[in-house]
Amino acid sequence: MIGAIVDTHALLQVIWVSILAGVAVTAAYGLAILGATRAVEFGRDRRVGEATVYAVIGIVGLVVFLAAIVFGIVILTGD
Amino acid sequence: MGSEIIVVIVVATALIFDFTNGFHDTANVVATTISTRALPPRIAVGYASILNFVGAFISLEVAATVAKDVVEIQPNSIGLLAVFGGLVGAIAWNLITWFFGLPSSSSHALIGGMVGSVFVAEGADSVFFQEGILGKVMIPALVAPTLAFLIGGIAILVLYKIVGRMRPGPVTGGFRLGQVISGGLLALAHGTNDAQKTMGVITLALVANGTVSADNFHVPTWVVVSAATAIAMGTYAGGWRIIKTMGSRIHKMDAAQGFAAQGAGSAVILAASHVGFPLSTTHTISGAVIGSGAAKRLSAVRWGVAGNIVVAWILTLPMAAVIGALTYLVTRLFGTGAVGPIIVSTLILAGSAVLYTRRSQHAGVPTAVESS
Repeated sequence: MIGAIVDTHALLQVIWVSILAGVAVTAAYGLAILGATRAVEFGRDRRVGEATVYAVIGIVGLVVFLAAIVFGIVILTGD
Repeated sequence: MGSEIIVVIVVATALIFDFTNGFHDTANVVATTISTRALPPRIAVGYASILNFVGAFISLEVAATVAKDVVEIQPNSIGLLAVFGGLVGAIAWNLITWFFGLPSSSSHALIGGMVGSVFVAEGADSVFFQEGILGKVMIPALVAPTLAFLIGGIAILVLYKIVGRMRPGPVTGGFRLGQVISGGLLALAHGTNDAQKTMGVITLALVANGTVSADNFHVPTWVVVSAATAIAMGTYAGGWRIIKTMGSRIHKMDAAQGFAAQGAGSAVILAASHVGFPLSTTHTISGAVIGSGAAKRLSAVRWGVAGNIVVAWILTLPMAAVIGALTYLVTRLFGTGAVGPIIVSTLILAGSAVLYTRRSQHAGVPTAVESS
């Protein structure tokens, strides 16, 4: 019944894309902050190993965050 | 000649509606950024205005839905007057809810006004109740704020899990920086979904006038540019009112909450815009803000404001439809020429001036989350 009225494909697309973009991308930015902050703290204590690991986490988080936004805008403007 | 005058009046009315939409919604778009001090107010408002303008160029899916899937207009003067009636119905309902402080949706008012006006002008067959109203407006209107609420809540819980044990200073600084991006995305999302509704209505008027063929539907470039300009100018003008009142009215939330709410709101609005759902951006952003507040502390949410949103959500479509229908009937009392729209436009301008004068003494910006 509902399926005949509403475009369920479009609605489900909105739901999963929103969850992915709203939660995963936000979490990626959270990891970027975590990585950057911890890398600075460990670097200050001269713990190079931990600082490097957190720096990588921070960079990956930031790259994922920015790439997801650029990808989303490209998809939106592509049609 | 008469129909050309009506087209000019309809386009001007639509752009005024678009301006008031931006003016009315500035609070939703920039309040979070300003309240967490991610950006200074003047810069936040200017930034939001520019991205509102840019957002209007991203997609035309929502404009196509409004112009083709909700109502059908015949290419004659009755069709033009129906579009005019719908627009005035939306503006009148927005003014009434603004006067009484109800956080209503300009988008639902616009669609409600169109439905009511076209229903009495062209008959029930010209309104697509199931696939159009229910399938593309009502169900997405219910899903979007709920989805934004859930995403806002989950996102802030995930963020607190990631950064919860860290020193607040650098974390707050990081999220403020992130809000520059998430706030920009929210403004972009608002511009794309809301400006397109006006584009859709102007295109409907052009179809009624025979300027655009219903069989070869397209939104003319000048319609896109003028709608983008009107909503951006409205956002900018509305921002100055917020800057004046924000000191006492906007309640603070932390930067992580602001970031989560803006991310959730923009994700839902942009995804819906991509598939052509004309959402209420007001309700979606409010849902995200309430979700990010409720996940942290239920008592932080101003549930009274949340309740008002629900009441306005239920009332807006039918009330705007009734006003749209009445406006069309009043306009038709003066025939099918330009006299009716001129008289009704004059009356609505006078009414707006009276309401604005009385209300501006008590202006405020309602927000859905208390100070944390």
